[in-house]
This record gives sequence, structure tokens and C-alpha cells, in this order.
Amino acid sequence: MLADLLIHPRLVRVEVGLNVVVGFKVVPDETLIKVSSGKLDMNVAVKISTYDKNAIEEAVRIKESTGGKAIGVTVGNTDRKTIREALSMGVDEVVAISTQYTDVLGTATAIAEEVRSMNPDLVLFGETTTDGSTSGLGPMVAEFWGVPVITFAKSIKLDGKVIRAERSLTPVVEIVETELPTVVTVTGEINSPRIPTLRQIMESSKKPVRTKEFKSSPMASLDSVEPYLVQRKRIVLEGKTEEVVQKLIEALRKEGAL
Amino acid sequence: MIVVFSEDGENFKSAAALAQSLGEEIAGVAKQELKFTNKLYVTDFDEDVVVDIVSKESPTLVIGGDTKRDKTVAARVAARLRAAYAPSVVDLKSQGDRFVVKRIGYSGVALATLTLSKPAVITVGKGDSSPKEMQTQVIRQEGKGRVRVVERREGKGTVDLGSAKIIVSVGRGMGSKENVKYAQELADAIGAALAGSRPVTAEMGWLPEDRQVGLSGTKVKPKLYLALGISGQPQHLAGMKDSGLVVAVNKDKNAPIAENCDYLVVADTVEFCQEMVKRLKG
Ligand SMILES: Cc1cc2nc3c(=O)[nH]c(=O)nc-3n(C[C@H](O)[C@H](O)[C@H](O)COP(=O)(O)OP(=O)(O)OC[C@H]3O[C@@H](n4cnc5c(N)ncnc54)[C@H](O)[C@@H]3O)c2cc1C
Repeated sequence: MLADLLIHPRLVRVEVGLNVVVGFKVVPDETLIKVSSGKLDMNVAVKISTYDKNAIEEAVRIKESTGGKAIGVTVGNTDRKTIREALSMGVDEVVAISTQYTDVLGTATAIAEEVRSMNPDLVLFGETTTDGSTSGLGPMVAEFWGVPVITFAKSIKLDGKVIRAERSLTPVVEIVETELPTVVTVTGEINSPRIPTLRQIMESSKKPVRTKEFKSSPMASLDSVEPYLVQRKRIVLEGKTEEVVQKLIEALRKEGAL
Repeated sequence: MIVVFSEDGENFKSAAALAQSLGEEIAGVAKQELKFTNKLYVTDFDEDVVVDIVSKESPTLVIGGDTKRDKTVAARVAARLRAAYAPSVVDLKSQGDRFVVKRIGYSGVALATLTLSKPAVITVGKGDSSPKEMQTQVIRQEGKGRVRVVERREGKGTVDLGSAKIIVSVGRGMGSKENVKYAQELADAIGAALAGSRPVTAEMGWLPEDRQVGLSGTKVKPKLYLALGISGQPQHLAGMKDSGLVVAVNKDKNAPIAENCDYLVVADTVEFCQEMVKRLKG
């Protein structure tokens, strides 16, 4: 045991609980958005934006391993059921900031204000959202807060106040290091978000949700959203593989594609 | 003043071409000495350093490249300048004291039109237009930021999917890394480039990461796109929707790709590849 301590001085370090803020967005489920009579039907179920769940998972893991706290922040749609999902996953509390239409700069302004008042060790976001997909929120919050940012992290490791991350910058991978506090955006490959148990879902109703309002004056206004749809022939070839392959080759030759 | 920047030389060119079309004084930030702007900062591209250089020019418009690092820098510049931000735009028009841009929304389901107040920061992908050469004043600027690079693994840059005429693309439905060889044989038989969905590239590593097609990968536009065992989620479709002819092979007739292809072959991916190769060679 003593030998262990001498060889691995790290074992004796007392880890202080890290406070992590994690941003997540409530978005319309993009897989349910359909086009009907030339228009997008946006009246669909909402969800936590896909990779924001990876950010939540990572925040909860860090909180669990260091004995700190994980606080969620969401801006825009503050649907309670969706916020409860984040709480069920292990977030201790959520700050829910409602706004009218805002651009990513507005969202960053609102979150940076919260972050400054909470002064956490680490702020996590997903690499991008499924609605606006700007990948801009993390870098903007870091800039407003005045700390370094590491984007597209596919793994992170904390060692005291030093954070080391593996960045996926296709086709390059970089291992980078900086000191906390910092902002990190995580990729969808960093972990597999947990599915909360029934008990965690029940208990989440006792966790606090602080609601706020934010008045945004966006610099980028959304004028219109049109379907991006390419009409296809949709010919189905079904049957024995030899036969359908023969038919396909004939069709492709006729089209001049082969 | 317009500022153009990208860590990627080709992408710098497409951004510079767009900047030149607007007829203003242009400053550039690049890793190489490229002569397409009035002045050029050559730097090894530490993000903190590039954000400083770009912001200090007090630009009315910043046009960044579309790599992940470029987008990180662009968003920070937008925050520092309190500027309107729109990455990955596919169209830009100057309208008086505003810019009107188009970009993809909702993971590829929509095309959004936005109006940006000035100053604005946008990013653009690689394109067909090339900029004119000009007299360029070159300034070297290095520096260190707050994030240290401990190790760098250069990716291979294995193909140029953007200009491929035929693409064979594999998804989870290919079954295993081992099975990818059947798709490779098919690709070889028809002179196609081999690509894949995000799970098979970024997550499982069946193919190198630069082979990823989609919203967060490469946008492709081949004459023929063969999707093998790809379900057709919006983020994948976003990267291949503008292809000429789309053929999908899927054992599930109701996969979303069925709505987004010209021919759906209901079959097992491996059997399909083997049969195709046999017929094409025979
Ligand atoms: C922000 C964001 C960005 C993203 N960016 C991208 C991107 O750039 N590119 C991308 O591809 N994805 C991207 N994704 C992921 C995307 O949402 C899907 O998860 C992904 O495209 C699914 O990959 P897949 O089709 O290979 O796998 P699956 O969805 O699992 O589909 C596999 C398909 O194979 C079929 N199949 C299974 N076995 C066989 C068999 N033996 N024979 C024939 N068919 C079979 C199944 O029926 C199914 O349709 C992104 C997601 C997010 C949230």
C-alpha cells in the first residue's frame, strides 16, 4: 500500500468536487418533421437535442466521480417534460430561461450571464444542435466568460485542475490540455447517454427548476424556412437477390449511370 | 474591410473568391502564403491567435472556412465583435446594410433564409469558384494560446469525396468492419469512391473519418450514390441529397431512405455486393 502511494502520488490527492454546468436545448424532433403540401410541419414532439445528451452524460459522470454538482441550463423552449429527462439523467438542478426567437449569440449571452454568476469549473455543451447546428454556442460562451474553449472533444480526462481532451478535427486528431475553468463541446461519440430508471424519473420531480426570462435582440433574424427536398423516383426492387440485381444493373445502364 | 480565414488552403480560396465578389478591401489569415487578399497574416493557426488577428481588423464581414476549427474560431469572433453569426452558408447577398444568407436547418430537413445585421460572421465550404491572384502584403504572426497541443495525429486525407463521380457508401447495415471489403470490391468494379455514415466512420472506425458523408461530414454530389445499409436519417441525407441518382440497399422497405432514393433494392447488403460484382465482372 505504502509502495503504491510512493509510486502513484496521484492516489493521495484529495479530489475536490467539480461543479459542472451543462447546456442543453429543447428542439423539435427532426426525424418527425415532414413536408405536407410544400410546407414543413413543425408541430412535432420535442426532445433534448441529440448530442446535448452526451454533454449531460459527461457532466453527470464528472459530478459522480468527483463528488461535485451538475447544473443544467436551457434557453428557448422550456418544456417541463424534456427538462425532467435531463434531471432524471442525474443533473441536480436546471435553470430554464425562456425567450422568444433568439439567435445563437443571444443564447450565448443568456447562458454566459448564468455561468458568470455560478462560476463553475467546467461548462459543457454538445458539439452542435439538431435545429440550428451552428456549433457556435460553446465558443461564444467561452469568449463572453473569458476562458479557453475546447471544441469537438471525443474524450476528456481531468487531473486536478488540468483538463486533457482528444479533439476530433477531421482528418486530424489533437490531444490538447488547458487549465480549468474552461468550456468544452463534446461529440456524439464521447459516451453513451444513460437511460434513466423509473426511480430516477420519479425522483427527478423533486429536483429544482429555476425559471427565468431573457429578452433577446437577435443580430440574425430568421426570415423563412423552406423544405429542402429532392424528389426521387422511389422504385422498389424486391425479390430474389440475383433478379433484383439484374434489374438494377439494367436500370442503371439505361439511366447512363454505369 | 472583409476578413477571410481558413486553416485549409482550398477552403481559403473559396472564401476569398466570395470576398472578392463583394469588391471591398480584404485581409486574410492562412497557414500558407496565398495571394488572394490585399494583406495576409500567415500563422500556424492557434485559435486564440487567429481570433485576435481577425477581430482587430474591425471587419464588416468575416468569411471563414468550414472546417471544425474554422467554425470554432468564427463563432468566437462573432461573440467578440457582437456580430451576427451564420456558419455553413450556401448563398450570400448584400442588401444595403444587411446580408441575406441561406443555410441548412433542422439537420437537413429545411433550407433557412436569414438576415444578418453588420458586422456579420459567416463560414463557407469549398466551392467551384476560384479567386483572382493579387498583390498581397504578407505579415507573419505567431503566438501561443491558452490551449496546448500535446499530440497531433495527422489524418490521412484519404479521398476527395466532394469531386467523386460515383460513391458507394456504407452504413451500420453492412454488418461488420470485415464486411466492408465487399463494398470495396463493388466500388472497385464500378470505379467508385468508398464512403460511409457517421457511425461507421466516426464511431466504429470501419472507415477513416474523412470518409463520412453528411451534415457533420462531407457534402457530396456524385452522379450515382449507392447507399448500402444506411437508414437515411436527416443528417445523412443532408450530405447527399443533391446527388444525381440515388440507389439504396436495405432489408427494411420502410427505412426513411426509401422516400429519398430512386431505386430501393430490398436485399442483404453483403449478398447485394457479391451479386453485383459477379454480374459486372461476368
Ligand atoms: C448533430 C448530428 C450530426 C450528424 N451527422 C451525421 C453525418 O454527417 N453523417 C451521418 O451519416 N450521420 C450523421 N448523424 C447520425 C445520424 O443521425 C444517424 O444516426 C446515422 O446516419 C445512422 O447511420 P446508419 O444509417 O449507418 O445506421 P442505422 O441508422 O443504424 O441504419 C442501418 C440501416 O441498415 C439496415 N440494415 C441492417 N442490416 C442490414 C442488412 N444485413 N442488409 C441490408 N440492410 C441492413 C437497417 O434496416 C437500417 O436501415 C448525425 C447526428 C447528429 C445528431
